[in-house]
Amino acid sequence: MKSVKSPAGEAGSGGLAVRFGWRVAVLAALFTGLFVVLFFRLWFVQLVEGEELARQADANILTLEYLEAPRGSILDRNGIPLAVSTSRIVLEVDRSALPVERENDVIQRLASLLQVTPVEIRSLLEAAGSGNVAVISDMDIDADAAYQIIEQRRTLPGVAVRILPVRQYLQGELMGHVLGHIGLPDQEDLERLPNIDAETVVGKQGVELEYDEFLQGDLGRISYRQAPNGEILEEVGQIDPVPGDTVHLTLDIPTQQVVERVLVEAVDLSNSLKEETPPEDPSRIPQPTERAAALVLEVNTGEVRAMASYPTFAPQAFVGGIDIRTFEELSEKQSFNNLVIQGLKPPASTFKAVTYVTALEENIFPEGAASAEDSIECSAQLEADFVDQSQLVWRNWTYPEDDGRQNLHGAFQRSCNIYFWEIALSVWRAYSHTDQEDLVQQWADQIGFGRRSQVDLPFENPGVLPDRELFERWRRTQPWRVRPEGWLGGDLMSLVVGQGSILSTPLQLAVAYASLVNGGVVYQPWVVDRVADSDGELVLDNTPRVLRTVDISPAAVESLKRDLAEVVQSGTARKAFEEMGPLSARISGKTGTAQSFTDQDGVYHDSTAWFAGLVPADDPQWVVVVMVDEGGSGGAVAAPAARAIMQHLLQVPVTPLEAGEETER
Amino acid sequence: MALLSGRRGYRPPPVRGLFADRPKPAPDVVMFAVMAGLLALSAVMVYSATFIRDAEGGGGAFGSMTRQMIFAGAGLAVFIVASLVDYRDYRRLLPYIYGLIMLGLIVVLFFPPVKGANRWIPIGAFQLQPSEFAKVALVVVLAGVLARAREEGMRWRRMGAALALVALPCLLIFIQPDLGTMLSVMFLTAGMLFAAGLSFRQLAVLLAAGAGGTAAVLRLGLLQEYQINRLSGFLDQSVDLQGMNWNINQSKIAIGSGQMFGRGLLEGTQTGLDFVPSQTTDFIFTAVAEQLGFFGGLAVLLVYVFLIWRILMISAATPDRFGSLIAVGMASLLAFHIFINIGMTMGVAPVTGLPLPFMSVGGSAIIAMSAGLGIVNSVWRTRSPLPPELSQRA
Repeated sequence: MKSVKSPAGEAGSGGLAVRFGWRVAVLAALFTGLFVVLFFRLWFVQLVEGEELARQADANILTLEYLEAPRGSILDRNGIPLAVSTSRIVLEVDRSALPVERENDVIQRLASLLQVTPVEIRSLLEAAGSGNVAVISDMDIDADAAYQIIEQRRTLPGVAVRILPVRQYLQGELMGHVLGHIGLPDQEDLERLPNIDAETVVGKQGVELEYDEFLQGDLGRISYRQAPNGEILEEVGQIDPVPGDTVHLTLDIPTQQVVERVLVEAVDLSNSLKEETPPEDPSRIPQPTERAAALVLEVNTGEVRAMASYPTFAPQAFVGGIDIRTFEELSEKQSFNNLVIQGLKPPASTFKAVTYVTALEENIFPEGAASAEDSIECSAQLEADFVDQSQLVWRNWTYPEDDGRQNLHGAFQRSCNIYFWEIALSVWRAYSHTDQEDLVQQWADQIGFGRRSQVDLPFENPGVLPDRELFERWRRTQPWRVRPEGWLGGDLMSLVVGQGSILSTPLQLAVAYASLVNGGVVYQPWVVDRVADSDGELVLDNTPRVLRTVDISPAAVESLKRDLAEVVQSGTARKAFEEMGPLSARISGKTGTAQSFTDQDGVYHDSTAWFAGLVPADDPQWVVVVMVDEGGSGGAVAAPAARAIMQHLLQVPVTPLEAGEETER
Repeated sequence: MALLSGRRGYRPPPVRGLFADRPKPAPDVVMFAVMAGLLALSAVMVYSATFIRDAEGGGGAFGSMTRQMIFAGAGLAVFIVASLVDYRDYRRLLPYIYGLIMLGLIVVLFFPPVKGANRWIPIGAFQLQPSEFAKVALVVVLAGVLARAREEGMRWRRMGAALALVALPCLLIFIQPDLGTMLSVMFLTAGMLFAAGLSFRQLAVLLAAGAGGTAAVLRLGLLQEYQINRLSGFLDQSVDLQGMNWNINQSKIAIGSGQMFGRGLLEGTQTGLDFVPSQTTDFIFTAVAEQLGFFGGLAVLLVYVFLIWRILMISAATPDRFGSLIAVGMASLLAFHIFINIGMTMGVAPVTGLPLPFMSVGGSAIIAMSAGLGIVNSVWRTRSPLPPELSQRA
C-alpha cells in the first residue's frame, strides 16, 4: 500500500498528510454517504416533521378528560325549581385497562367494597354495553365507597369513580310538554353544540331543546400526565365545568297545576257525557275522549302563563335513557305531542270572531242587512246556489228548529251559522275571483292563522288557512285533499264558521283572540321570561315582542268584547258559567264545536270541543283556550273547563266541572 | 492536523518485552477522548431514560447509569490495554483467536434462550454476548488472512478462504438468531475484502452471491416471524402503529419532538416514560435527539463521522497491511452499526438489535468495541517505521 504514503512536499506543512489509496477512499466515500443519509433524515424528522411529532409526543402523555357540567335549572315564574341537576357518583370500568386475567379479582374486590355480590357487578357490567368504557350509573355508591375505590385504585386497574350530573324533574309530569326532555346527543347535536362530548346529555324537546345552548354548561377539562401503562403521574391542569344557565319560565306552577287537573276532568266529563247519552244511531257511537289541550296567554304581552296537553309524560323517564316499552306506550297515546302547539283541529265557531271583525271592518253583511244591527232570519237551513250550478243545503246547528231573527250580535252570541254563511255568500257574490275574495283569510292571516306563532318552543305546527291558491297547490301535489273544481263558494262558507280545511292549534287561536281584543297587536308568545348565568347575571331577558299590528277600529273591538261577554251571559256558554254566579260577568268567550265525521275506516269521530275565553271581560288580561279533541260540544265540555281555569285566574275557589249546554251540534 | 501526527521528531525510548521494540509515536489521544466523550454522554442519556423507572422500582434513580458507567470504565481500561499490546503479536495467535470465536458461538447455543434467542452466556450479573467479541475478533483474523493478498487482484482461493472463515461464525450467529450481527459481519468482511484488493469481477460475483443468498433465505423461510415482521414493518411504516410499528413510530415521535434544540435534559417524555422501547439499548439515539434536539443529534453524528475518518486515516497511514486492514475492518463495523442503529430509530433502516457503539447499554458491546478501538490505536502507535519523509525530517 505504498500509495497511501504522503508525498514529501505535504509533510512539510507540519502535519501528517494522509492520502487514501483509492480503495480506502471508496470506503470512506461510502461511509460518508451513509452519514449523509442519516443527516438528511435527522433534519427531516426533527425540523420538518418535528412540530407535528412534538404534538404527538404531547398527546402521548397528556390524557384529557372531560368533566360534565351540570345542566342549568328551569324555574317557574316564581322561582320554584322544575328541573335541576344533581350529582351522582357513577362507577366507570375501562375494559381496555383491565387485564382479562385480573377481571375476576377486580370484580371480587369491587363487590366487597360496594357490598353487593360479584354476580350483580357482572350483570351491571354487561348491561352497560360492550364499549371500552362501561358506565354503571344505576347503583347507589356512597362517598365512603367511592373514596375507598379511589384509594385502592392500584389493585383495581381500569376502575374509576366519577361524579356525573343527573337531571332531576322535581314536579313529576307537571309542565312535561313545556319542559320537554333530554337525551344523548346524535350526530346533529354534536355538530350544533361544539362544546359537548358523546356523554353530555342534550335537550331533545321543549324548553330543554329550545334553550339547550343556555342550559348546557361548559365542559370542564382535566389533564393528566400519564405513563404508557396508564398510570397517572401528575395532574397538569384542571378547568372546572361551568354550570348551565338558569331558565325562568313565564309559566307558574299553581296555574299550570289547575290547568292540567282541569284537562283530566274535562276528558272525564266528556267521556261520562258520551256514556249518559248514547246515540240512537249505532254507527255514531263515538270513540272515547283521549286528548285535550289548554293554555293561558297574557293578552297584552304574549306571555304564556300555563300550557298543558293531555295525555302527558314525565320528563324524568328520559333521564338515563327511557325504556322502550314505556316509550312505545306513551307514543301510542300521543303523549309526546304538545297539542297546544302541534294539535291541528278546525277551530269551528271560535273562528266566527274573525268573520265578525271582517264583517264589521269591511262592512260586509248578509243580503238584506245593511249594518251589524240589521237582522235576518236565522232559519234552520240554507240553500245556496253557486255559479258552478251546484246546489247545497246547509243546516244550522239548531236544525230542525230555526233560531229567530238575528243581527250580527245575536248571530255571534247564538253562534248562528246561517248568518255567517250569508256573510260568506256576500263576499263570494261581491269579490269571487278578484283579489278581494280572500278578505276573511287576509284578516285571519294577519292575526296568526296558518302561520307559526313563533313561540319559543320547538316543532310548532303552522296550521292551515285555505284559499284558492292553496287549493290549487294541493290539486297539483295532494289531489286527494281537494275536489277537482278547486276553491268554491262552499269552501268559503265552511271557512267563515271555522270548518272545512282550516286547521288551527290552540295557541294560534289564543294569539288570534288576544290580538282581536287588545286592539290588533299580535304578540309573539313566549314561555321563557329570562335566562341567568350561574353568577346570576342576566344573559337573556325576554320582553314582549310585537310581530304585527293589525288595524282594527276601537268600535269593532268594543263590539266584539260586548258580544263575547254576551255569549257567556246569555249565549252558548251561559250554562257553563252559571256556576260562577255574578262573577261570570267578568268573563267573555266563544264556544266552538268542530264537525264530527266518519273516517275512511268507518270510525265515527265526535266533534272537537273548543272554548276561547277572556278574563276580565271588560279589559281582558288573559285569554284561555281549551280544546278537547273529539270531546263533543264546546259549550258542554270545553266551556266548563275554561270556567274552572278562569276561577283560578280570578282567585276564587275552583269548583268541579259540570256539563254545559249542548250547543252547535 | 498537528494532533494526528503526534509530536514531530519525537522518538520514544525502546520498549522491551510484551511491547514492541521499535520507536513509537504517541497513542491517539483524540480517539480515546472521542470514545470517552461518547461513553459519558451515554451515561447521561441512560440516566435520563431510566431515572423515573428506576426510582419507581425502588432501586434508586441512578441504578442503570451506575451500571453503564462501570462498563464504560471497563471499556476505557480495555482500550488502554489493547493499545499497549503490539497488535502484530496477534498474527501468531490467529488460529487461537478463531478457535475462541467458534468456541464462544457454539457454547452460547447451550444456554437457555432469552426472549427466544441464544445470544447470552450468564456470568453472575453479567450477560456475556460472545457475538459482540466475535465481530471484533473476526476483524483481526480476516486482516491476518487478507494481509498476504496481492494489493490488486486477489486470488480466488484467498477470497474463498476468507469467506469460508467468515461463513462458519455467520452460520452460528444466524442460528442464535441474530440477523443484525450476522449482517454486520458480512458487511465488515465485504469492506475488508474490497480494501484488500478484490477485483471487480470478484466483487460482482460476491454481490451476486449475496443477492442470491438473500433470496434463498427468504424463499426457504429461514427467517423468524419477528424478523419478517420487522422487515415488512420497515417497508410500510404507516400501518399497525399499535403493534408491529409501535417501536419505530414512537421512536420517530421522540426524535421529531426534539426539533431544533431538544426538549431539554430529563424532559424527554418519550424516552423517559417508556414510550420508546429499549430506549437505553437499541434506541438510545432517540434519547439524545429528543432531549438535545437536532444539534445534539447532529453533534453525535459528526463525532461518529470523525471517528470513522480517523480510523480510515490510520489505515491509510499504516504501511503494515495487517494493521491497515484491521483499521478498515473496524471502520466498516462501526459504520454499519451506526448507520443501521440510528437509521432504524428514524425509519431508514429496519429494526435490528445492533447496539450504537459506545452509547447503547450493553457491557459486551462496549468492551468489545473498546478493545477494537484499542487495537486500532495500537496500529497507530506501532505504525513505524515512520513514513520515510517524516523520518528523514526527524
